[in-house]
Amino acid sequence: MEGASYQRFPKVKIRELKDDYAKFELRDTVTSMANALGRVMIAEVPTIAIDLVEIEINSSVLNDEFIAHHLGLIPLTSDRAMGMPFSLDCDACDGDGQCEYCSVEFHLRAKCIIDQTLDVTSKDLYSSDHTVVPVDFSDSSGSEIHINEDLMQTLTLEEKRSWVESSPTRVFDIDPNTKQVVVVDPEAYTYDDEVIKKAESMGKPGLVDIYAKEDSFIFTVESTGAIKASQLVLNAIEVFKQKLDAVRLSEDTVEADEQFDELGAHMRGG
Amino acid sequence: MNAPDRYERFVVPEGTKKVSYERDTKIINAASFTIEREDHTIGNIVRIQLHRDENVLFAGYKLPHPLQYKIIVRIHTTSQSSPLQAYNQAINDLDKELDHLKNVFEAEVAKHARE
Repeated sequence: MEGASYQRFPKVKIRELKDDYAKFELRDTVTSMANALGRVMIAEVPTIAIDLVEIEINSSVLNDEFIAHHLGLIPLTSDRAMGMPFSLDCDACDGDGQCEYCSVEFHLRAKCIIDQTLDVTSKDLYSSDHTVVPVDFSDSSGSEIHINEDLMQTLTLEEKRSWVESSPTRVFDIDPNTKQVVVVDPEAYTYDDEVIKKAESMGKPGLVDIYAKEDSFIFTVESTGAIKASQLVLNAIEVFKQKLDAVRLSEDTVEADEQFDELGAHMRGG
Repeated sequence: MNAPDRYERFVVPEGTKKVSYERDTKIINAASFTIEREDHTIGNIVRIQLHRDENVLFAGYKLPHPLQYKIIVRIHTTSQSSPLQAYNQAINDLDKELDHLKNVFEAEVAKHARE
């Protein structure tokens, strides 16, 4: 295989990491990669959820389908999900969806024998697999800003103050010691152009230059708790690799191409 | 009533190949790859990766219809390479980039846990 590898080497820096929340920076890669990763995290990382509800008795005020719908919304701890086949793909039960390899069974039994309303929550769900249980509900890329210092010096302190204040979010401030305009929080900038318009109205166009960095992204991942946020990102990368593998060209198309190549060459008189 | 089933988005029916390949009869070193049951998630990133290859003259993808779950990727290369080569190279490079990303991320998580 000739040709150099056109691979990129992305960098990651984690800003915050909790069980259900991760915020990290992804640098030195393209928008497409960040986008694809986000899409995979949202739509293609497998999780486990209640899909079929068989109701024996329901004499509550909520009707059957209401209860079934809401049971389906309960997030279940899905660490097993990556290793489980989809019911459609399961060989053991032939797509039936009821075997131990591709499914988990839950039981819910509640009877109200007191005079008041009985609260039935996900804590009353009993699982056949202790690693798949309802989530325990008891217990968060930058921009670059350049200030034209020469032009900034021509402003009086009053003018600087009014310019800094024209920004709706606190991006700039005046340093109390040097009385200079400094960038305080570049990420607070919302690309509203207010400061640019203010500079122009003051007769000082080009006072500041602001552009977005095209190769760094800030990811915020919030999970339902079904999978830890950090594990979610790793699963997403795994699923992404599996998708790429599925899309590789198989051997027989390569052979067919070579045969076509020879035929083509022959027909062209080669 | 006419909406396709949700599983149609990712289940390749029996007899259909996941990836198929059609050379352009009129232009040399040009081909179209039809990838079944995939969408922008794969299409865009493969296309961008193909652009990085200096032997690729043209690379683009489209969804012929939003309710037909497939993409067509079209590649033209110079005579130094071939669409097949460019395609495989792009996928391999993406695979390596993801490996790198996974290692970097795991290292960061471990480092974060220690602090």
